[in-house]
Amino acid sequence: MEITWEDGAQSTYSAEQLRWACPCAECRGEGGSPGRLSRVKTLSDAELRVQDVTLVGQYALQIAFESGHATGLYTFSMLRRLGTTDRR
Amino acid sequence: MAMPSSQQVLEALGGIKDPDLGRDVVSLGMIKELEVSPEGKVSFTFELTTPACPVRDRFKSQAEDAVGGIAGVTGVEIRMTANVRPAFLRPKPSEILPGVKQTIAVASGKGGVGKSTVAVNLAAALSRSGAAVGLLDADIYGPSVPVMTGSRRVPQQVNGRLLPIDAHGMKLMSFGQINPSDEPTIYRGPMVGKAIEAMMVQVDWGILDYLVIDLPPGTGDASLTLAQVVPLTGVAIVCTPQDVATDIAVKALQMFRKLNVTPLGLIENMSWYVCPECGHRHEIFSHGGAEAAAKRLGVPFLGAIPLEEGIREDADSGTPVVISRPESAGAKAFVAIASQVAARTSIQSFRQLPVINVH
Repeated sequence: MEITWEDGAQSTYSAEQLRWACPCAECRGEGGSPGRLSRVKTLSDAELRVQDVTLVGQYALQIAFESGHATGLYTFSMLRRLGTTDRR
Repeated sequence: MAMPSSQQVLEALGGIKDPDLGRDVVSLGMIKELEVSPEGKVSFTFELTTPACPVRDRFKSQAEDAVGGIAGVTGVEIRMTANVRPAFLRPKPSEILPGVKQTIAVASGKGGVGKSTVAVNLAAALSRSGAAVGLLDADIYGPSVPVMTGSRRVPQQVNGRLLPIDAHGMKLMSFGQINPSDEPTIYRGPMVGKAIEAMMVQVDWGILDYLVIDLPPGTGDASLTLAQVVPLTGVAIVCTPQDVATDIAVKALQMFRKLNVTPLGLIENMSWYVCPECGHRHEIFSHGGAEAAAKRLGVPFLGAIPLEEGIREDADSGTPVVISRPESAGAKAFVAIASQVAARTSIQSFRQLPVINVH
């Protein structure tokens, strides 16, 4: 996935990187209990393939993976920090 | 022997029922890419709703038996796949308000500051200036737009979509029209989100220059749903001058900032009162609080509206004051604020969003 930002900079992401960065409560954990991503070392192929990306308002992206996991809302500020950004 | 037809294959597969959905797999659209070769080989894709389908193997053997039993079939090839639907479905951005150019939310944080009065008059002032304007009352629990605009009528339905009510040259939609009796709407949070989404997707808004959205107080479900479903052009925050009101207005504003919705500015309502007996100006709720808060937060101050009996009377009798008494100080204040909002909105429409490419 590629994002071109308002200022012209471009960020690129692999599906794998996005899946491991999923910010949802199930993956990250909530209320002090650890999330799923801290308990597993590997994810199946279907979990690592992006199926669909939807814009949420104008602050985030919802990424659906082929496994059906789609609860993560990736805010633009988080994505900007996460990607390998190449300034133009 | 005659080659079996696709119709025969589908009829045979129609006997397989999905135990969860209670319908046959053909009418559910699970059979795709069906091909029958001249030699009688049948191949198709069996698309499940989840790869973890508990009856996956049963479906496959049932399908093999059903198709294999048709006269003339020499072989069956089934590709089992799964088309996962995202965990929570959202309408596509293109389905949301396709003909609406600008969406302006009116929010406050605190209740009782006159948000609906401001929203109604803002919409009416924009409409009087010649724009095509809609007003969506997103206050599910306390809809006040129908009374303030004299539009307590049940909307008509055409082709499964609701037509907004026409009043004072504006298009209106409110839960108070859908449920116009004294019966309360008793909804938990997720239902509020669904209701607001429905008022955008299932209402035929047509072509509009501005859709003004009157939000309920608070920084919860309604505001969050709105900011997630529509790319809002901006939000105007209404507050009264005293500290308890401006403090909460600031919270509302910061919430919208977190959601990347641009604050168009702060509006101070009930800013002063001119006593008709003595002619003195009284600042009942203090004065200038919103302007000071706007300065502190670095957002525009859009203007102040006086506390006038006429504004309240006209709201109760169903005509916005900017239409009924355009020469009053209140109406003039609303018109000035509306032009500020319109100007800030057009600046916003040049703002760009990131471009996303998925390979």
